[in-house]
Amino acid sequence: MLWVDKYRPKTLDQITVHQDVAQNLKKLVNEQDCPHLLFYGPSGSGKKTLVMALIRQMFGPSAEKVKVENKTWKVDAGTRTIDIELTTLSSANHVELTPSDAGFQDRYIVQEIIKEMAKNRPIDSKGKRGHKVLVLNDVDKLSREAQHSLRRTMEKYSSYCRLILCCNSSSRVTEAIRSRCLNVRINGPTEEQIVKVLEFIGKKEGLQLPSGFASRIAEKSSRSLRRAILSFETCRVQQYPFVGNQAIPPMDWEEYITEIASDIMKEQSPKRLFQVRGKLYELLVNCIPPEIILKRLLYELLKKLDAELKHEVCHWAAYYEHRMRLGQKAIFHIEAFVAKFMSIYKTFLISTFG
Amino acid sequence: MGDIRKWFMKAHDKDNGSGSKKAKPAPSSLEKSISAELQSGKTGPSGGESTGRRITSKYFASEKQKAKDTEETEVPPIIGKSPQDTKESPAKRKFQKYNGESPKASPLKKSNKIDDNDDDAVLCSSKKNMSEVTPNKKLKSGSGKGITQKPVEMEASDDEETKGTDSSLKPSGRGRGGRGSSAATIGGRGRGGGGRGGFMNFGERKDPPHKGEKEVPEGAPDCLAGLTFVISGTLDSLEREEAEDLIKRHGGRVTGSVSKKTNYLLCDEDIGGRKSSKAKELGTGFLTEDGLFDMIRASGKKAPPRQDPKKSMVKSEESPTEKKFQKVQAKSHKDLTAGASPAKQKSRTAEFSNLTWTEKYRPKVPNDIIGNQSLVKQLHDWLAHWNENFLDVGSKKKVKKASDSGAKKAVLLCGGPGIGKTTSAKLVSQMLGFEAIEVNASDNRGKSDAKIQKGIGGSNANSIKELISNESLHFKMDQPKHHKTVLIMDEVDGMSAGDRGGVADLIASIKMSKIPIICICNDRYSQKLKSLVNYCLILSFRKPTKQQMAKRLIQVANAEGLQVNEIALEELAERVNGDMRMALNQLQYLSLSMSVIKYDDIRQRLLSSRKDEDISPFTAVDKLFGFNSGKLRMDERIDLSMSDLDLVPLLIQENYINYRPSGVSKDDNGIKRMDLIARAAESIADGDIINVQIRRHRQWQLSQSSCIASCIIPASLLHGQRETLEQFERNFNRFGAWLGKNSTFGKNMRLLEDLHVHILASRESCSGREHLRVENLTLFLKRLTEPLHTLPKDEAVKTVVEFMSLYSISQEDFDTVLELSKFQGRKNPLDGVAPAVKAALTKAYKEASKTHMVRAADLITLPGMKKAPKKRIAAILEPTEDTVEGAGGETLVESDDENSVDNEGEENSTNGEKLQLELQSLNKKGMQVQLDLKGVEDSSAKKSGGRGRGGRTSQASEKKSGRGSGSATKRKR
Repeated sequence: MLWVDKYRPKTLDQITVHQDVAQNLKKLVNEQDCPHLLFYGPSGSGKKTLVMALIRQMFGPSAEKVKVENKTWKVDAGTRTIDIELTTLSSANHVELTPSDAGFQDRYIVQEIIKEMAKNRPIDSKGKRGHKVLVLNDVDKLSREAQHSLRRTMEKYSSYCRLILCCNSSSRVTEAIRSRCLNVRINGPTEEQIVKVLEFIGKKEGLQLPSGFASRIAEKSSRSLRRAILSFETCRVQQYPFVGNQAIPPMDWEEYITEIASDIMKEQSPKRLFQVRGKLYELLVNCIPPEIILKRLLYELLKKLDAELKHEVCHWAAYYEHRMRLGQKAIFHIEAFVAKFMSIYKTFLISTFG
Repeated sequence: MGDIRKWFMKAHDKDNGSGSKKAKPAPSSLEKSISAELQSGKTGPSGGESTGRRITSKYFASEKQKAKDTEETEVPPIIGKSPQDTKESPAKRKFQKYNGESPKASPLKKSNKIDDNDDDAVLCSSKKNMSEVTPNKKLKSGSGKGITQKPVEMEASDDEETKGTDSSLKPSGRGRGGRGSSAATIGGRGRGGGGRGGFMNFGERKDPPHKGEKEVPEGAPDCLAGLTFVISGTLDSLEREEAEDLIKRHGGRVTGSVSKKTNYLLCDEDIGGRKSSKAKELGTGFLTEDGLFDMIRASGKKAPPRQDPKKSMVKSEESPTEKKFQKVQAKSHKDLTAGASPAKQKSRTAEFSNLTWTEKYRPKVPNDIIGNQSLVKQLHDWLAHWNENFLDVGSKKKVKKASDSGAKKAVLLCGGPGIGKTTSAKLVSQMLGFEAIEVNASDNRGKSDAKIQKGIGGSNANSIKELISNESLHFKMDQPKHHKTVLIMDEVDGMSAGDRGGVADLIASIKMSKIPIICICNDRYSQKLKSLVNYCLILSFRKPTKQQMAKRLIQVANAEGLQVNEIALEELAERVNGDMRMALNQLQYLSLSMSVIKYDDIRQRLLSSRKDEDISPFTAVDKLFGFNSGKLRMDERIDLSMSDLDLVPLLIQENYINYRPSGVSKDDNGIKRMDLIARAAESIADGDIINVQIRRHRQWQLSQSSCIASCIIPASLLHGQRETLEQFERNFNRFGAWLGKNSTFGKNMRLLEDLHVHILASRESCSGREHLRVENLTLFLKRLTEPLHTLPKDEAVKTVVEFMSLYSISQEDFDTVLELSKFQGRKNPLDGVAPAVKAALTKAYKEASKTHMVRAADLITLPGMKKAPKKRIAAILEPTEDTVEGAGGETLVESDDENSVDNEGEENSTNGEKLQLELQSLNKKGMQVQLDLKGVEDSSAKKSGGRGRGGRTSQASEKKSGRGSGSATKRKR
C-alpha cells in the first residue's frame, strides 16, 4: 500500500496537521446540526482527508464501506434526453462525485443527484429520518450554470442532505454558493509540519533518515503533503538506504516540461516552436491538465529568465491561461504563449547582445 | 511583336512538317491557293462526317470538329499576317467572293440548305428525314465551308446594312455563310473532343514545385487567340486549373490530348507520358510555363502600339460574322419559334421580352432535349407500349407476365434540377398524343392531393373529374377509349412533407392505375421514395455535358442577339453545374446589362456559385497561404475559409508555422517572423474562444468572426512560401494533428478513468483522477516496474502482483500506467526486463485474480466473453480487513431503481471460494452467463429481472474463503 494511503488519518482525532480545524469540525458535528461546508485550499493540504474523517465522525465506521459505481443519468433536457455517465463513490450515508467530469452538462448532474437523494432519505437507527451527505469535488470547475442550479437546490433540499464542497480556489465559486456554506480554509501544511509527518512515517517504516533529507523533500514538495509523501516513497523505491544528497526524483511530466523549457530558451525559431508543439501534445495526450502544464512551464522558464523580462512573461502567461479557460482547445493557447515568449525573448536577446 | 509572330510561325511550320494531310501552304504563299486548298481539303472529310453525324446524333462533336477544321486552317495564317492587313484584305475578299458565289451557282442546294438549317437547330427528329437529307449533304456542307469567310468580306466593306435588303437568293446564301463562320468561332474557342471536361478529375497530381511564386503576367486579351494548348505534367508554379484559366482568358484553348491541331504542349518537365511522345511524333512545339508567360507578357508590353490593329483585325474577323450569324440564326429559328422574319428581329425580341428564356426556348420536340437521348427514348418506348402491356389485355396473367419481364406500371424520372425531366415527360407524352395531367405535388399537397390519387386509382372516369374539372377530361369521360391520358406527378420527393402517406397513396394508385403515371423527383435516394422506387421504372437523368449545353446556349444567345463566344458559354455551363434552366436564366440576366459577353464576365458573375462545390480544405489553405493571397478579396477569403468551417482552421493552425511570410521584406534574425507567428498564434487562440461561443452557446452569427480570427488573420500575416521544418517532411500542408491527438487524449482519459475506478474500488485510496495522474502515477510506475529490474524473478513477481491486487490494478491498467507515462525520448520502463519475468508476471497475475478477492466486477473474466461488458460493472466486496461489519451493514442498499439481493452461504467456508455470477441483461438477447470458479456448486445469488430503467442488471456474489460472511453488491447500470 502506498504510504499516502497507509498513513492517511482515518478519524478527526488522528489528524495532526490541521488539528484546530479538525477539533472545530468535531464540535460542529456533535452539535447535530451541520451546515453546508465548503473546503478550499491548495492541493495536498488535506481537504479530502478532513472530509472523509468528518463523514466517519458523522456516521461511524459504516461510512467507510463505500462502493464505486458508474451511474448513468437520463436527463430530460427539453427536446432530447441526455445520457450522462459519472463515477460515484457512495456509502449508505454519503455520495461523493466530481460533477465537473461531465463537462458542460454538469448542471444536470447537480440537479438530478440532489433530487434523487432527497427521494431516498435514510432512516437512522433511532427511526429518525436522517440526512445524507453529498460530497462534490472540484466545485471550482463547475460551470456557471451548474453553480446556479446548485444554489437553489442547496436551499430547497437542505433538510434532506448536506453538501460538502471541495475546491482549490474559492474565487471561482460564486458568491451565492459561498454565502450558503460554512467556508473552511485549509492551508497548505508548512514545511515543518511536512517534515514532522515524513519523520513519523520514516519511524513507522523503520527507515534511516539522513538529516536534512526530509526537509529537502518538504522543500521540493511546494507545501503539498501528498507530494511530499509520494516523493518520499519514490526515493525509497529508487534507492535505499538513503544517502544524504540523494536526488529527489521529479514527476515524469515535470521532467519533460523542464526539457521543453530548456528547448525554448535555447532557440527561438519556427522550427523549435514546431518541436515544442509536438512535445506539448504529448503531455496533453498523457492526460496532464493544460493549466498545470502552463503553470509549470512558466515556472521553469522563470528560473532561467532575465529579471527584466519576468514581469512581462508572467503577464502573458496569466493572459493565456485565462483565455485557455475560455476556450476549448488548450494546445492553441499554450502554443500561443510559447510563440509569444519566443518572440519577446528573441527580441530581448538581440537587442541586448546584438 | 516579333516574338509572338515567331511563335505562331513556328507552330505552323511544325504543323506542316508533321506531314498532316492538309499540307498547308506557308503563310506567305498566295491566298488564293489557300482558299482553294481549304475548300478541297475540307469538303471531303466534312461531307463524310455529315452522314455519320445525323445517324449517330453525335451532332455536336462532329460539327465542332468540322468547325475547328476551318478555324484551324484559316485563322492562324491571318493572324500571322496581321501586319500586312492591307495586303490581305483584298485577297480575302477574293476568296470570299469566290465562295460566296458558289451557293448562288447551284440552285439545288438552296432547298437543301433550308432543310439543313432546320436540322441544325432542331436536330432532325425523324429518321426518314435524315435519309432524305443526306444525299445533298456533301454538296451543301462543302459550300457551307466555302462560304465561311463571306461575312468577313461584308464587314470589311462595311455594307452590313445592305444585308437586310438583300435579294431573295442571298439570304439563304448568307445563312449558310453565317453558320459556317459561326461554327468557326465556336471551334476556335471551343475545346477539342466532347466529354473531356472530367479529365482533371483522374488521379492526384503533384503540386507545382514553386507554387504561387511567380507573378502571373497579364497580356492582351486575345494574344493567344487561335492557339491550342495541351497541358502535360506538373507545371512550375501554376496549378493545372490556373494555367487553363490563364490560357482561356487570353483567348487560347486547352484540349485534353495532343492532336495535329495542337500548337503547343505546355509542360515543364518531360515526363515522357503519352502526350509528350505523341507531341514529338507530331512535331508539336514544347512550351514551358515561362515561355507561356513570356508570350503573354510580350503581348502585354508591346500591345499598345500594335494591339489596336490586331484587335480590330480580330474583330473584323469575328464580330461581323457573329452578327450576321445571329441574324441568320434568328431566321433559322423562325421555324422553331414561329417568330418573325429576320428583318423584324429587334421587334421580335422586344415582343418576347416578357417571356423568360427558359420558357421561350424550352424544347419543342423530344429530340431537342439536350442529353439523355437514350432515356428519352426509353421513356418514349415505355409510354408507347404502356397500353399494350397493362391495359388492353384485360387478363391479370398478362400483367403479371409484364411485370416479370421488368416492365413497371409507372416510371420515375430522377436527376438534378434544370436538366429537363419535366420537359421530357411533357414532350414525350405530347408526342405520343397523351393528354398530360400534371400534378404538382409541391403546390397542392395535403388531403386533396391524396384524394386525387385515390380517385385516379379508383374508377377511371369519376376520379379524374374530381382531379381537375377540365374540358379535356370531360371529353375523356365521354369517350374513354379514344383519348389517352398520362399523369405526371411532379416533385414527388417534395410531397410527403405536408401530407403523410402521400407516397403510399401514390403507390396504391400506381397499382390500380389504368393510366400511365410518370413521377419526377430530384433525389431518388431520398428516404421518402424508398418504397416508391420498387414500383417504378427508374430513369436517372444525367447532367448534359458542357459542350452540349454550350451548343444550345449559343443558339439561344444568337437568337437573342447576344454576342458570346463558346468558351464563355462552356464556362457558364460548367458553373451552373449542368442546370440548363439556371444557365438560361443567368444568360438572360447577363444580357440585360451587356450585349457582348466574354469569358471573364461569366467568370466574375458566377464566381460564388462555383466556390461552394469543389474547394477542398487543403486547396483553401493553400490559397489562403499562397504567395499571391494578398490579392484576394475579403469575401474570397471568407469563402475559402468557410469551405469547411471545422477543418480549415485546424489545417491553418497546423501549418502556419511553416510559412515564411512574404510581407516581411528584410528580416534580420527572424525577429519579425517570430513576432508575426506570435500574433497569428494569438489570433488562432481567439478563434478557439469564439468557437466555444458558437458551439456551446449557439451563437452562429459569430461564425464569420471565428473565420477571420482563426483563418484569415493568421493567413494574411504569414502567407508566403512554405518551408519544411523537419528533415524528411514533404513540403505540403499537413493534416491537422489536433483531431488525432484529441482522440488519443480521449482514449487515454478513458483508460485513466478505468484505472481510477479500480483504485477507488480498492478502497485504499480516494484521490481524484487528476491527482492520480499528476502525482501518484510516477510512484505507481516505480512500484510496478522497479522490482522487476532489481529483485529476483519470483520475488519481484510476487511483490508486483501483490501491489496490483491491493489496488485492484488489472493488467490493462498496468499497460495504462505505462502508456500514460510514455514520453518521447524516454525509455520504456519495461525495457531490460527479461521476457521470462514478464511472462511469469502475467501468469502470476492470472493465478492471483482467481484466488484473489475481486473488488471490481469488471475484473472478473467471464467465460465466453473476451472482455468485461463494455459498460463497466463494478461490484465491490467487503475488504478482508473489515472486522466491524454486522449483518445489516453488509447489504448496501443501492439507490432507487436497483435491486440488491445478497445471498450468502456460510457453509462453504472451507471449500475454497466459489463464485457464481449471473449476469442477466435484459436489454438485448437476455444474455446469460454462468460462471463457476473452482467448480463448486453453491448457492447463488439469483436475480430476477431488473426493473427500473430497463437496463441491465448484474449481480455478483462472491464468497471469500475462510470468512463466514461475505457480502455481495450488485451493480446495475
